[in-house]
Amino acid sequence: MKRAMWILWPSFLVGGTAEMVFFTLLDPADLHVFGNPVELSRTAIYTLGFFLFWLFTAASSALTCYLLQTSNESTGESTGQ
Amino acid sequence: MASPVPLKVVKDIEQPASEAPLYEIRQKIYPRAVSGWFAHWRLGLVVATQLLFYGLPWLTWNARPAVLFDLASRKFYILGMVLWPQDFIFLAGLLVISALSLFLFTAVGGRLFCGYACPQTVYTEIFLWIERKIEGDRARRMRLDGAALDADKLLRKTVKHLLWLCVGLWTGITFVGYFTPIRTLLGEVISLSPGPWETFWMLFYGFATYGNAGWMREQVCKYMCPYARFQSAMFDPDTLIITYDAQRGEPRGSRARSTDYKAKGLGACVDCGICVQVCPTGIDIRRGLQYECIGCAACVDGCNQVMDKMGYPRGLIRYSTQNALKQDWTSSQMAARVFRPRVLVYIGLLLLIVTVWSTALALRSPLKVDVIRDRAALMRETREGKIENVYRLQIMNTDEQAHRYVIKASGLNDMRVTPFAPVSVAGATTQSVVVTLEVDPARNKPGSHSILFQVEDMDQPATRAIEKSRFIIK
Ligand code: SF4
Ligand code: SF4
Repeated sequence: MKRAMWILWPSFLVGGTAEMVFFTLLDPADLHVFGNPVELSRTAIYTLGFFLFWLFTAASSALTCYLLQTSNESTGESTGQ
Repeated sequence: MASPVPLKVVKDIEQPASEAPLYEIRQKIYPRAVSGWFAHWRLGLVVATQLLFYGLPWLTWNARPAVLFDLASRKFYILGMVLWPQDFIFLAGLLVISALSLFLFTAVGGRLFCGYACPQTVYTEIFLWIERKIEGDRARRMRLDGAALDADKLLRKTVKHLLWLCVGLWTGITFVGYFTPIRTLLGEVISLSPGPWETFWMLFYGFATYGNAGWMREQVCKYMCPYARFQSAMFDPDTLIITYDAQRGEPRGSRARSTDYKAKGLGACVDCGICVQVCPTGIDIRRGLQYECIGCAACVDGCNQVMDKMGYPRGLIRYSTQNALKQDWTSSQMAARVFRPRVLVYIGLLLLIVTVWSTALALRSPLKVDVIRDRAALMRETREGKIENVYRLQIMNTDEQAHRYVIKASGLNDMRVTPFAPVSVAGATTQSVVVTLEVDPARNKPGSHSILFQVEDMDQPATRAIEKSRFIIK
C-alpha cells in the first residue's frame, strides 16, 4: 500500500505538471500522430495526455522504487522508512 | 541563516518499524472529537475554504461564469480577465507567489497550512464529522468496528459510505464545474447526459476525495506529501511548532484533582492520553517534534481542557518555538523574533514579485497579433504590374468587448493594404484575417524587405500591436 502511494502520488504531481506545460505550449488541435491529425476533441486529448504522462512518470517512480528495494536487499541496508 | 531544526523521527513502539513487505498493517486511528479555540479556527477555515471552492463556479460575471477554465477553447476566464495560453507566464508567476507565501508562512508559523487549510485536512474533517454523526464518538466507533456485523452496523456503515460518496460526487461535480459551466453541467447530470470525459473526471475526482478523506486520511500526510518532508528545510529554531513543555509536564503520572502534585514530585501531565486520542495522525506529541505532526493543535485544545479540569494553568501543550522553550521566553520575546533575516528576505522577495506580477498583469495589452506569411505563394504579379504578397494575421482580442481594428503596413514605398476597412473582432476571440499587400515594383528595389504590420484599435488608438514580417519583390 505504502509502495503504491510512493509510486502513484509523486508521478501524479509530476505528470500533472508536465501535462500543464505541454498543453500550454501546444494546442491539441495541432497534434499529429504519424502524420495524421488526431480526430478527438480537445478534452479527450487532454485526458488521454494526462494519463499517458502519468503512466510514464509512474513507470519511472516504480523503477526507482524497485532499484532501491533490490539494492537494499543486496547490501542488507534498511530503507529506514 | 539559522540551521534547520532536526526533526526527531521517533519509531512507533506499538508497530515495529521493520521494513514491511508490500502491505503494512495500518492501525486505524479513531480521532477523538475536540473543542476549543483552535478547533473553532479550523472549523472556520473549513467553512471558508469550502464556501469558496463550492461557491465560486456558481458566481457569474458579464453573463458568464466568473471563474471558468475553458480548456476546450483554451481560454481562462477569471472575473473580468480572459487569459490565453500566451499568458502562461502569469500562471507561472502565480505559482511562484504561492510557493513563496508557503515558505513565508512555514518559516513563521510552521505547518499552519497543513493544520487548517490543506484540502486533505479539510475533507478529512468533513468526512470525520459525518462519521461522528452516524457512528457516534470515538469509543462507540471503536466498539462498532470491533462488533460482529449485524443489522445496525450494516445500516450505519452503508449510510456513512453513501453520505461520503455524495460529498465526494458533489466535490467531483464542482471540480469539473471549473472547466465546464456548472449550470450546464448540472443540467446534464440531472438529465443523465454529461459528456463521457466530464463523467470520467467527475467520478475520478469524486472517488479520489472519497478515498483520500474516508480511507487514507493521515497516511496521505505521512507517506505521500512531499511538503511534509521539506518542512525541516524551512523551519528554524524560531518557527512556531506544537510543543509539549516537558520541563513542566514531567514526570507524568495520574493523580487525584486534590493532590498537591508538586509535593509528590510529579509534573503537570496527568498522563490521561487525551492528546494522543485527539491526534489525527495518532502520534504522542510528548515524545517531541515528529514529522507526522501536521500542526493541527487538536492536542493543544485537548490538553487545555484537561488542565482546566485539574485547575492547572493552560499551555502544557502549546504553540511555541524551540528557542522560546529552551530559554523560557515570554510570548512578546517570541514575537520579537518573528522578523528575523530569513523572514525579512521572504517578505522582500514576495513584495517584489507581487509588484512586478500585478503591474505586468495590469499593463497586459488586450490585443495580440501573429503574422504568418502565406506559404503557398511567395509573391504574385497583378494584372496592373504590381507585386502582391499574402499574409494571414491572427488577431486576438483578449478583451470581453468587440473591437474594430485597422491594419496598416510600413517599410516600403506606397504599400496598399487589403482589407482597407477596419476588421471587427468579437470579445475574447481570435480572428484570422487574410491580408494582401501590394507595392509598385518601379518604386521599390527587388529583394526581401523587412516590413512592419501595425494593428490599431479604432476605439482606443493607444492599444496597438506591431509585428514584423517580410515582403518579397523578385
Ligand atoms: S492531554 Fe495533557 S495531561 Fe493529558 S496526557 Fe496529554 S499532555 Fe498529559
Ligand atoms: S501532535 Fe497535536 S498538533 Fe500534531 S498532529 Fe497530533 S494533534 Fe495535531
